[in-house]
Amino acid sequence: MANVLDGIVLGLQFGLLAAGLTLVYGLGGVLNLAYGQMAVLSAMAVALSMEAGLAPIPAVAVGLVAGGLLGLLLDLTILRPVYRLHGEARVLLSLLLTLGMAFVVDGFLTWRYPTKALTLRIGGGPVEILGVRMVRGGVVASVITILVLGGLLLFFRKTTLGRAVRSVIEDEEGSRLVGIDPQRMLRLILVLTGVLAALVAVTRSLVTPVSVTAGFELTVSALIVTVVGGLGSVGGAILAGVILGIISTVAASSIGTVLSLIILLVAAAVTILIRPSGLLGVEE
Amino acid sequence: MIEDYTEGTGTAVVGGTEQRASRSLLALIWPIALVGALLSLIPLWLGDSRVMMGVSILGLTFACYAVGFNLIFGSTGQLFLCVGALAGIGGYGSAILADRVGLPLLLSVLLATLASSLIGGLLSWIAVRRSLGVIFTGIITLIFSLVFGNLLLGAAGVTGGDGGFHIQMGADTFLRQTIPPYYLMLALVLIFLLTHGLLRRSHIGWAFRALRDDEVAAELAGVDVSRYRVYAALIGAAMLGLSGSLFAVTEGTISPTTYGFAQVDVETLVMLAFGGIGTLFGPVLGAVVITIINELILDLGQLRLLVYGALIIALFLWVPRGIIPTLGDLLRRRRSPARREE
Repeated sequence: MANVLDGIVLGLQFGLLAAGLTLVYGLGGVLNLAYGQMAVLSAMAVALSMEAGLAPIPAVAVGLVAGGLLGLLLDLTILRPVYRLHGEARVLLSLLLTLGMAFVVDGFLTWRYPTKALTLRIGGGPVEILGVRMVRGGVVASVITILVLGGLLLFFRKTTLGRAVRSVIEDEEGSRLVGIDPQRMLRLILVLTGVLAALVAVTRSLVTPVSVTAGFELTVSALIVTVVGGLGSVGGAILAGVILGIISTVAASSIGTVLSLIILLVAAAVTILIRPSGLLGVEE
Repeated sequence: MIEDYTEGTGTAVVGGTEQRASRSLLALIWPIALVGALLSLIPLWLGDSRVMMGVSILGLTFACYAVGFNLIFGSTGQLFLCVGALAGIGGYGSAILADRVGLPLLLSVLLATLASSLIGGLLSWIAVRRSLGVIFTGIITLIFSLVFGNLLLGAAGVTGGDGGFHIQMGADTFLRQTIPPYYLMLALVLIFLLTHGLLRRSHIGWAFRALRDDEVAAELAGVDVSRYRVYAALIGAAMLGLSGSLFAVTEGTISPTTYGFAQVDVETLVMLAFGGIGTLFGPVLGAVVITIINELILDLGQLRLLVYGALIIALFLWVPRGIIPTLGDLLRRRRSPARREE
């Protein structure tokens, strides 16, 4: 039971991470391989602000702003030429350019701060949930993640702006006809996903340290969860994240890390093969 | 998005006479011979340095990987993100068969190549059966890569785990000298180029092009799209397995990072995309340029990764479709300016 709850904590973070990736892909056909690096860079912004003497909450705010700015920066710089292409060529160029960006960020961080890691600690003892004692940091992280995911779903269901974004994902041409500017929506979502990446980094650091080299692994996890959940589907990303999170922690505690990772990967592969459009993806 | 530049492909079929066919065969062979002649000069220049020859051999190995990957991804649009894993099946497979099982070297290499060909074909067959798109094929094969990497670590008793595998076979032969392995890998590059070139000229090549340009139209015209995809994966994966296993034999030591996703797949994709996806010589050109860049920035130490990333961004901002397609466009525009108007 404890493992299942731990799995949910991990899975919610996977889901939040994948939600960011899936939105940008669904909206603009852009595959952002620098996504994990955006999270790590925001985490370092938080760590550095705290070292400079800022209290944790304002430092986290700095991190979130940094994440959003990174998203905006991507949109204004290296993604410009990507927007001129369409279809597969667009995906490929976005993937190559953001890969370069990922190297730049990784290179910069390992050069300047080779050993830095962000760890946020929350005082107080374990919390009891369903008769299981949970680490307080993990519970707080999950509550924050659930609130953000809930807010995200509400944003897409209830607000005009959110509906506009969804209509672009479903039918770009049609949305243009009713006066929505897909390019502006994409910029908005890139900023939003930058903030989400920062949030993942912050909530993750409540559970385990987020090191400067974590970027690549975060991106790969997000990619797999995104595809298992269905491209362009936030709900699917959350569902896939939680399922894979539970599989991962339950397997890890019963049979060891290497084998559990293999089981996790095979589970992901089988899901994709059974439902090639993803858990909640739209059949094409 | 992908252009095609084999000279003479048009005449071979439209003309159809034997004379034209043989001329276009020549048109395929002389550029490959030229590439071979140019690359065979490298040891005259760098042959004294064991380190530089090592770098060159690795560069040629990557050229082999890129040609194999090009056959799968460039010709039939299957994004195989398991280049390193398929090469690793060749490398680890032949090392285990030769050293642990005791089979002769050639037989080990052959069996390991066959294994990676079959696994590549199987992956392609699965992707085709489930009609997975580019991204989905990419993720499935990426998952396969990660599983392979973990298996190497998990089965440390057989593979040597993190520390790697010191290969006995081929030790004390010409395979471990400084220069002969270079020519071995160069021969492999040229054979692969010739194979890919001949495939493109055959009916298989026409099927490749048809399904790449418009899959539905190709299917309607009677091209068995799925069969040709699996063929391409079988041949391409055999190329990857063979180059991975010959590299292992000449190198003497392999470890999970020799065939790691970050080390091989990312690099191969960058090389191919920079040279020109779907072009015959793009993969070799890309491999040469990226290998030189890697060597030039080696002295930067910790800044290396940062500069490498910045260079990748700069290269793809400069030629988003790769060097050879961009050059081809420039040449064609000069030759027939009026045609560009359409």
